[in-house]
This record gives sequence, C-alpha cells and structure tokens, in this order.
Amino acid sequence: MESLGDEPWDVVICGTGLQQSLLALALSRSNKRILHVDPNDYYGEHEAAFSLQEADSWAATHAGRSTEEDSSVEKRQPIFKNASVWKHPDAADLGLLSPHAYSLALAPQIIHTRSKILEQLVSSQAYRQVVFLAVGSFFVFDAEATDSSPKLARIPSSREDVFATKAIPVKSKRYLMKFLKFVIDHDSEEQKPVWQGQEQKLLSEFLASEFKLDENLQKYILALTLSLDGLITVADGLATIHRHLTSMGVFGPGFCAVYPKWGGSSEIAQVACRAGAVGGGIYMLDTEANVSNSPDGHEISLELSNGISVRTTKLVTSQQDALPDAQTITRLIAVVNSPLKPLFETVVEGAPTPAVAVVVFPGQITENSPIYAFVHSSETGECLIGQSVIYLTTLACRQSAQRLESALDDLLAAATPEGSPAPVSLYKLQYEQTVSAREPLITTREETRTFAFPSPSLSLTFDDGCLGPVKDAWKLVMGDTALETEYMVFQDREGVGDDDDVYDL
Amino acid sequence: MADSNAPKPSSSVKLVLLGEAAVGKSSLVLRFVNNDFQENKEPTIGAAFLTQKCNLPTRTIKFEIWDTAGQERFASLAPMYYRNAQAALVVYDLTKPTSLIKAKHWVAELQRQASPGIVIALVGNKLDLTNDSESGQAESEGADGEESGDARKISTEEAKTYAEEEGLLFFETSAKTGHNVSEVFTAIANAIPETSLKSTRGPGASSAVNRGGDEQRVNLNGPREAAKEGCAC
Ligand SMILES: Nc1nc2c(ncn2[C@@H]2O[C@H](COP(=O)(O)OP(=O)(O)OP(=O)(O)O)[C@@H](O)[C@H]2O)c(=O)[nH]1
Ligand SMILES: [Mg+2]
Repeated sequence: MESLGDEPWDVVICGTGLQQSLLALALSRSNKRILHVDPNDYYGEHEAAFSLQEADSWAATHAGRSTEEDSSVEKRQPIFKNASVWKHPDAADLGLLSPHAYSLALAPQIIHTRSKILEQLVSSQAYRQVVFLAVGSFFVFDAEATDSSPKLARIPSSREDVFATKAIPVKSKRYLMKFLKFVIDHDSEEQKPVWQGQEQKLLSEFLASEFKLDENLQKYILALTLSLDGLITVADGLATIHRHLTSMGVFGPGFCAVYPKWGGSSEIAQVACRAGAVGGGIYMLDTEANVSNSPDGHEISLELSNGISVRTTKLVTSQQDALPDAQTITRLIAVVNSPLKPLFETVVEGAPTPAVAVVVFPGQITENSPIYAFVHSSETGECLIGQSVIYLTTLACRQSAQRLESALDDLLAAATPEGSPAPVSLYKLQYEQTVSAREPLITTREETRTFAFPSPSLSLTFDDGCLGPVKDAWKLVMGDTALETEYMVFQDREGVGDDDDVYDL
Repeated sequence: MADSNAPKPSSSVKLVLLGEAAVGKSSLVLRFVNNDFQENKEPTIGAAFLTQKCNLPTRTIKFEIWDTAGQERFASLAPMYYRNAQAALVVYDLTKPTSLIKAKHWVAELQRQASPGIVIALVGNKLDLTNDSESGQAESEGADGEESGDARKISTEEAKTYAEEEGLLFFETSAKTGHNVSEVFTAIANAIPETSLKSTRGPGASSAVNRGGDEQRVNLNGPREAAKEGCAC
C-alpha cells in the first residue's frame, strides 16, 4: 500500500456521486494517475442505491433533525436529513426476504431519451453495461372520481391515444391537439408571438387563456412537466412539454424516458467507476480524506483514514453543505407486496413492457404542491418478483410526510383491481433532501485547483445541466491536452463487443 | 459457428472473477475467450471487462465477464463487480495454500453481500503443476527435470468437501493446457436457472430477484445493433 503515497497523483477524486464518477469515465483513457476515494462504504454518494441493511444504517446516520434552537449560529446542514425507516411487523411472512436483494435509490430520476447523458454513455461505450428499461404511462390521480370512472386516469401519450380516449370530451380533444401541435414548434418564428411576453406567467393560466384547456386537461399537461411546486412558468413549461413529446419513440414506440436497471443513477455511477478502474484508476471505499494545502501552495496533501498520505495538484470533490433556505423535498420509498400490474401495461403496439410508471397527484395552486410517485416494477431489480417499489416526492412542508403516506394509501387502493386484497407496505424509508449551492466551487491556489461539484438537482427527470460541470472538471484535469472533440468518445476495449466467434458449449 | 439460423432465446449473464493475485483469473478468461495462454501475464490493474457468447442447446448466453485485480490495493473494487452478478468464479492456485483461504473469504463475502441465487464456482487452477494423470501436463515441462515434481498443496478432497458444504460448483483447471476451462463456464451456464434468465411474468418464483431477459431492455444503439444480435454468425 505504501507505493500509493510516493508519487503525486494527477488527480484525486473524492466521492463516487454521479458527477465524480462520470469524470472518472471521461478520464478513463487519459493515462492520468487517478486516485478515487469515497468516505462511504458504498458507491454513489447522494445518488446511491441501498440494500435494506444499507438503508437502515444510512437512515440511522441521517436521522438528524434540524434544530431550530440556536438559529443565531450558522449551522452546517446536510443534503439529506430527517431519515427514518419503518418495517411491517410481519415483514418476513409477507415476503420481505433477503434484505440484500433490494436496491432502493435515494434520488431516482427518469432519463428522457433525448438527454445528452445517453449520448455520452453510448459514445463512451459505457452503455453496454447498463440495462435501460422503459418508463411507461403517466397517470393522474383523481380524488373526486366517482365510482364509474377510475381514480387513476392515464394521460394519453400519442395523437391516436388522444383520439381513442373516452375520458376527454370531443371539443376538448380539439383544443388539446391544437396545443400539442403548437408545442412541437413553439420556438419557431411563426409560433413565438403566441407566448412572447408571457414567458414568466404560470403555465396553467396560459393553457386556459390561450388554448381554452379545461381544468382537467391543465392537470394532464402540468403533470407531464413533473414540476415540483406546480408553479412552472410558460417558458419552462413549454420547453419541458416539448422535451416530453419529442422524446417519444426515439428508441422505440410508446415511451419517452428510460430508467437504468438496479437503481438508476447509482448504476450509471458504478458503471462509470468500473470504466475508471479498467483504465487504471485506483479505488478506495470507506476512506476519508483530510485535505490540507502545503505551505507554499504548490501541492494539496490528503491524509487518508487508512493511514496513507497522498499528494496531488488537482482535487475534485462534491459539496456537502445545504444552501440555507434552499428548496427541500420530502421523499418516501415504500416496498409493497404487489406487482401493481395495471400500471405496467403496454399501450402501444411493439412497445417494451414498462418498468416504471408515473402517478401524479395534482396539487392545489394555493396550498398543496403536487405529489409525484414513481412506481418501479420488479423488472428494475430493485425488489423481489411479486413486489414493487414506490418512490413518492413532494415539496417539504409541515404535513408533507403525512401527505405522502396518504398518497401512498390512495395509490395502492386505486391500483388494485376490485375484489383483490389491498397491497401492504413492507418497508418504508422517509427523508428530506435539499441542495447545495448550484454552481461548482472552484478554488485556485498557486498551481493547485480544487473543484467541488454541486449536489444533485431535485428534479425528477435527469438534469443535463449536471453534465457541464463534469466537462469543466475534465478540462481542468486535462489542461492543455484537452481535445473537446474526444470528450467521452471511446472505442470498445479489446475483447468487448466482437461477438463473431460464438462458443458452442 | 452457429448451427442454425433459428433465433434462440438470448440473455446476458454477468459473471465476476475473484481470487488472490496471480492465481490465474485473467489466464482462465484468456483461455476461455481467445483460447490462448501467456506464460508471463502481467497483473490486472483495476479490472478488465470481456464478453463471450455461448450457444447452449436451447439458448444463447452472452457472458459479460468482469476480471478483477487480485492485488489487495484493489479490494475496494469488488463490490462494484459482484453487485447484480449472476455468477462468480472464485479462483485459487492449488499450489498455494493461502490462496484457498482468500477464496473462502470471497465466498463468505459473496454469500453475505451478493444477490441471492448467485451461482458460485470454486476453481482450483494450475492443475498442470501437479502429478494428476488427467491434467494434461504441459509437455515443455517434461524436459525440465525439476518441474516434474508435484507442486500440489491443496488436495482435491479438501477443496471439494468445502465446496459441497457451501453449495458451490467445483473444478480443478489449467489455464495453461486448457483442461476443464470451458467445462467451468458450461456448468455455470447450466446452473443458472432458466427462470432467472427469462423475464418472469407470472407469480411463482417469488423469492427470486428479477433478472429479466433481454426483451425488456431498451436498445440505445438503434435497430442496426438489434439485427446483429439476432444472428449468431
Ligand atoms: N503453470 C500454470 N501457470 C498459470 C496458469 N494460469 C496462470 N498461470 C500463470 O500465473 C501467473 C498469473 O496469472 P494471471 O492470470 O495474471 O493471474 P491473475 O489471477 O489474473 O492475477 P491478478 O490479475 O494480479 O489478480 C501468470 O504468469 C500466468 O502465466 C496455469 O494454469 N498453469
Ligand atoms: Mg488478472
């Protein structure tokens, strides 16, 4: 182990969150000497995915409540807090077996098919090790639905779908089609005047005033934006709906987004780290790094908790402190003992069976923000067959925890066919998540550079904005040798992909 | 090499190799994938990834092989590779007692941490350095007087008993001569339950983790690739 400390490293990366891991992938063919450490004994940092034991121990260390007593003192606040777990008293009898068969994602995001991250995973060949699953239908929960109409209304996903549905009156359909047509080229010279000057207005109001969409259709459109507060503006809203519509069908019929099997971003982070390791990077988990600058400022030294001390001029880390008063969400993850089949039907011919369904509980503009539920089937590898994992999210407020619990109950009741026993939750993990400052923190001292990624965005869809800082960090490490056209563009390594000679066993 | 054009069901199997440094993990993979052997193979840095397709009578399996580095300083990597793996090859060198101790550590860690239902094969490598009759000793060593001695330090009996106790597949191999190498992979392919390769729709295998077949997988590389996957020729 001694040898690790002798030579200075070209870069030391601390933490295995998605951004640090993508950096490791980007550097994996650079021949740089890379040391990648993580104070945690798991991969993925803020984007980790946990077995039940790991979730238990993570919750124990993130149970801390924000104390409001000495608010005069600047207190450091973590990204995650108020975590707690609940387990059904008869969990094992009800099927909660082998705790390490679960993979609960801390911050799951669906990835739109046009996202740049997919492009980068393909050009870097890393996609070969990720199994991407389809995100299927979006549903809106209607609390007022009468007995005759279902409480979960599927949002039509295509033109044919709009025509076919009986849930929308004919007249409304025409307005809706007009709006959808408009969104597709809302940025054209022809359509811009329709919304110019109203960019900062609420999307819902715009839908009513310009397109005569009734309350029901407004709900559908707003649901598709996955806006956390439901107060999305016209400019952001149109861009989001545009992304949704143009993402349909890119990699096959019937879906606009994908989800990586085995825990979403956590899986991408690990695949990226593996690429880093294949490229010669050294990995150490469960290793804390105590950073100090040499007095002359020419080097950064790190005292690792395993007793080794290492030197470098470039250190890449992530920000761990919450921005005061930043947006905060409450999350509830529940493992339930039902496959919730009705949510995972394929509705378009030739579409893959979806593994993720989205259920939206619209909020009331004035009081409650919307609640979003991602329902994951066992196809995601996150639970056992016959079960599903439900990830619920809403903006944090006094009753948010309670609201998520009742939304979960509503969802389970609504997704269960008449006459079947209502499914029960076997395991629940609840916590709050907030964000750090949104810009990377870059510190320069003589020849040394420290680069700290911001914490993940709270967005429920993958935010391409997090890719920019990764490239910036890559440039910082590569220096003059950075060739932008070669960023994340790699050939398959030897022995991979050439399946020409098949073994006959 | 494929004998028919009728598409068989195809699925990927993630396999990880674990074991002490220099026991011959990379050599076993090299033998399996390229039918080759290198006398002085350099230690693996970090890990290596290789793929190999295999035709079984009823299905095609694509092994996605993670060959990890045995050196202690890479130990942190292992969880990243055995996570979600359907099969593990835990390798020891049957001329080196410490390597079996290390192998037992890996088996224990896999049983504790890896997916339930992972198929584990215990493999004692470098059989060509022993006097076993069927091991197909390398001829080149016959001329070299001192090499003809039996270097075996771990008896077949000892390792086999342990493997049986723990429910592992067990093989003694030589990456050098190729003895028993493809047999290990065949045994693994056959030991992986068909249900965990198909995407199970009905209830039933309720304590199984859903491995899924490839039919749910979204292909990011367009239809071109998909067509290529279809025919194994
Ligand atoms: N005689 C003999 N030598 C072998 C055999 N397999 C591997 N070797 C030799 O043992 C040495 C180590 O082999 P590797 O395949 O690199 O071992 P490894 O387990 O991959 O080692 P690490 O990558 O460091 O973990 C090399 O010099 C090989 O040539 C075998 O079956 N018989
Ligand atoms: Mg090796």
